[in-house]
Amino acid sequence: MSRAATPLRRRLSAITLIATGVAMLVTTVLFLAGEVVSVRRSSLQELKILSEVVASNSTAALAFDIPDDARLVLNAFRADPHIVSAALYDREGRLFVQYPDGSDTRNVPAAPGPPGYSFEGESLIGVAAVSEAQRQLGVLYVRSDMSHIYDRLMFYALVAALVIALAMLVAWFIARRMQRQLSAPILELAATARGISDRHDYRVRATPVGINELDDLTSAFNHMLGQTEQNERRMSAQVSRLALIQQITHSIGSRHDLNSIFQVVLRSLEEHLPIDFGCVLLNDAARGSVTVESVGTASAPLCELLGLGIGSLVPVGQNGLYRAMNGTLICELDTGQVASPFTQQFARAGLYSLVLAPLSVESSVFGVLIAARRGRQAFSSPDCEFLKQLSEHVALASHQAQLYGALQRTYDDLRHSQQTVMQTERLRSLGEMASGIAHDINNSISPVALYTELLMNNEPLISEAGKTRLDTIRRAIDDVAGTIERMREFYRPREARSSFAKLDIHAAIEQVLQLTEPRWRALPQERGIVVELRRDFAFVLPDVMGDEVELRDALTNLVFNAVDAMPEGGMLTLRTRAFEDAGKRTVHVEVADTGIGMDEETRRRCIEPFFTTKGQRGTGLGLASVYGMLQRHDAQFEIDSAPGKGTTMRMIFPAFVADAETGGAYRASRAPLQSLRILVIDDDPILIRSMRDVLEADGHQLETALGGQAGIDAFAAARGTEREYALVITDLGMPRIDGRKVAAAIKEMSPATPIILLTGWGQRLLDEKDIPPNIDRVLSKPPRLAQLRAALVDLAGSTYSI
Amino acid sequence: MSHPFRRILCYALALSCALGGAPVQGALPPTEYQVKAAYLFNFGQFVEWPAGSYASASAPFVIGIVGDDPFGSVLDDVVRGEAVAGHPLLVRRFNDTDDVSACNILFIARSETALLERTLQAVRGRNVLTVTDAAGDESRDAIIVLKTENKRIRMRINIAAARANNLVISSKLLRPAEVVGAGPGT
Repeated sequence: MSRAATPLRRRLSAITLIATGVAMLVTTVLFLAGEVVSVRRSSLQELKILSEVVASNSTAALAFDIPDDARLVLNAFRADPHIVSAALYDREGRLFVQYPDGSDTRNVPAAPGPPGYSFEGESLIGVAAVSEAQRQLGVLYVRSDMSHIYDRLMFYALVAALVIALAMLVAWFIARRMQRQLSAPILELAATARGISDRHDYRVRATPVGINELDDLTSAFNHMLGQTEQNERRMSAQVSRLALIQQITHSIGSRHDLNSIFQVVLRSLEEHLPIDFGCVLLNDAARGSVTVESVGTASAPLCELLGLGIGSLVPVGQNGLYRAMNGTLICELDTGQVASPFTQQFARAGLYSLVLAPLSVESSVFGVLIAARRGRQAFSSPDCEFLKQLSEHVALASHQAQLYGALQRTYDDLRHSQQTVMQTERLRSLGEMASGIAHDINNSISPVALYTELLMNNEPLISEAGKTRLDTIRRAIDDVAGTIERMREFYRPREARSSFAKLDIHAAIEQVLQLTEPRWRALPQERGIVVELRRDFAFVLPDVMGDEVELRDALTNLVFNAVDAMPEGGMLTLRTRAFEDAGKRTVHVEVADTGIGMDEETRRRCIEPFFTTKGQRGTGLGLASVYGMLQRHDAQFEIDSAPGKGTTMRMIFPAFVADAETGGAYRASRAPLQSLRILVIDDDPILIRSMRDVLEADGHQLETALGGQAGIDAFAAARGTEREYALVITDLGMPRIDGRKVAAAIKEMSPATPIILLTGWGQRLLDEKDIPPNIDRVLSKPPRLAQLRAALVDLAGSTYSI
Repeated sequence: MSHPFRRILCYALALSCALGGAPVQGALPPTEYQVKAAYLFNFGQFVEWPAGSYASASAPFVIGIVGDDPFGSVLDDVVRGEAVAGHPLLVRRFNDTDDVSACNILFIARSETALLERTLQAVRGRNVLTVTDAAGDESRDAIIVLKTENKRIRMRINIAAARANNLVISSKLLRPAEVVGAGPGT
């Protein structure tokens, strides 16, 4: 405190002392200078007068050459003790008499100078002409000693110095007293300022002291305090708002759905700003209105009064929303004064201050944040600014949430695509390999299938038991063919619906149980293990469209897996259920076991191709093919499993809708009414023979050609004769001339002749829409009699009795 | 002293002799009548003549001498080119028969001691300053008497006589002089 005050005190003292000293000094100097001037002037004047008198009196003495008289006259100088020497010179400039009489002649100059008066050193020299009636008679020289005057001036200066010193001393004392009066209020002011800055209490005011300038300072200080207090209040409000914005931004940053974001914002506003009502409206461009998306928790009771319940529509264009929807922040400080019906609603609900803050992203407004308070003029401009900033943050967060959702969906899609692509790629090689194997097997079993059917249809002597066995053989052949087919087809997304028929699910289950009985009963029993079977069938099931063979195959796979999962035995349950949910009817088919169950990893990966838990024994294709089959049937696959808790595999089929095409049912008949001449071309003699046996049994005339070229030749030879062929059946894969070339050659000769292509790759050609030109129908090997007959009816007008 | 300097001094002395006799005269003590001539001239400065003393503005200021002229040419030398109150100085020598009153200063030589009283009587009341160096009682009515005492010339001034001739004598002149005739009634 004193450290800060000392300079002021010293400075005031210094100012006072300097001012006093300078004033005194100037006064003294002026006085002394004036004194010198005046003394010199008066001395000069005196000397002049004296000289004139003496000169005048000495005229006669000079004129009549009377030195005694001249001496008498000069003695008049005795009256002035300062005149130290004087002399009279005659007309010729010779020394006439001297004063004081008899003194050293060296005291006076040998010859007088020109008339006049001058100061020389400490002397005043006067030279006056002595003249009578304009006649100069001589010259008077006078020297007056001025030292006494300078002595006196010196004395004056001494006195003045003393006076100055005294005055400064007095001034110092006075300054000390005065400056205390000045510095005390300043120090008090400083103490007040320090106290305020220490305590941050800006309500304190300094008291005026009654000195004009200091009171100006005090009032300026108080004014500044007022400003500071105001600023402080404004700043703390700003800081709390910033904190609120930060808190809200932080809260909404971690949320990714709009409603949750809006709820957080509205709740924060209600609690912390605070507001009495808050809601968010979202733009509904399609309907030209805005929809109430979210309402603050505390605002909910007011919703009814305002007609702003969640989901209600507010039309834009006839109310104050219009400008807000154009991106302007609307602030109504007295809703009662605004004509707009929308705003009037708020006044009726007792909310007189209203802010509509647009929510916009990239200059397009997608919604409005509404904040309202009960009082009039209740929103200040910082409030509006705050809401504006907040709405920008909210808009940004909403936008980000939308972007996040889109990103998430895209990511999911991408992952799904990636999985699909990976699966497809991994299965392509296997599929190609399987296709080759399937082709060979199909060729090999084709005669078995054809002969079995021939036996069943055309051999009346076969006993009933024999027919039953033949039927079993035929079914087994069909299953083999189906299995071979699926071996290369399980990875395909969808099979032609044309092969779908109404499924008898319960019958299929029974067949599967029968087929798999050795696995779930005989083999475990050999090891002393019991697998208990339980059927839990629904009383009535809706129709399901599908491929029976595929369904049996899938069920077989599931039963095998269930049995394998119960090495210590257990309960195998087959369950069917009908469900109806939201108008969609589904059929559930479950295969459940009480076995070891699957951990999460296994459960997740079990339907991947080549994933197996059975080591060398498993192919890893079982569940993959089930999944592929279900995909083709628009069915879903659910797996409930936990380690030690057993596994339930659930296939969910969509129920058949009545108006759907029945499709796929083959028109079958026993025998043809019209006989056709058919040319069969193949490089496999066994297949040719079986085809001949089967078709000739139907009454057709069959010619065969072994190889492509032979076939073309045979067709050409018969052309134009009564032996001309009504239809040609050719194999696709033949050495040198393959089925395509054969077809091209025949079509060139006779474009009207139908050609059936028989191939072990048939199904794949169909699916890939890769039917070669010139081919009218593609049939897979082994050919089914029914399919063959249907193709003949379609293409050659051969009719069969139904 | 160097040779050249001495030669320069000789030239200077020769030059000053050639230019006039004054320095040579000044070097010698002045003669009695040289001093008296100067006195006569100087009286013009210290005495005031009444307004009608001159015939005209250009009339000369006349110093007249009666009796044997003791001055020779000295007086003429002194007054040559001089003037008193604007009037050129003129020296006139009077015979006994002349009207001696036609002058401003009348010097009555010793030779006229016998006729002194008559001469004084002649100019009485005629604005003439009478000066004489005649000793004796006869000179008592002369206005200024020049006496020689201890080789110095002293003045005796008769105020009454001056007043009679309407002249005002400066007090400066009176102070070194012996004043007579200043009795009561003057």
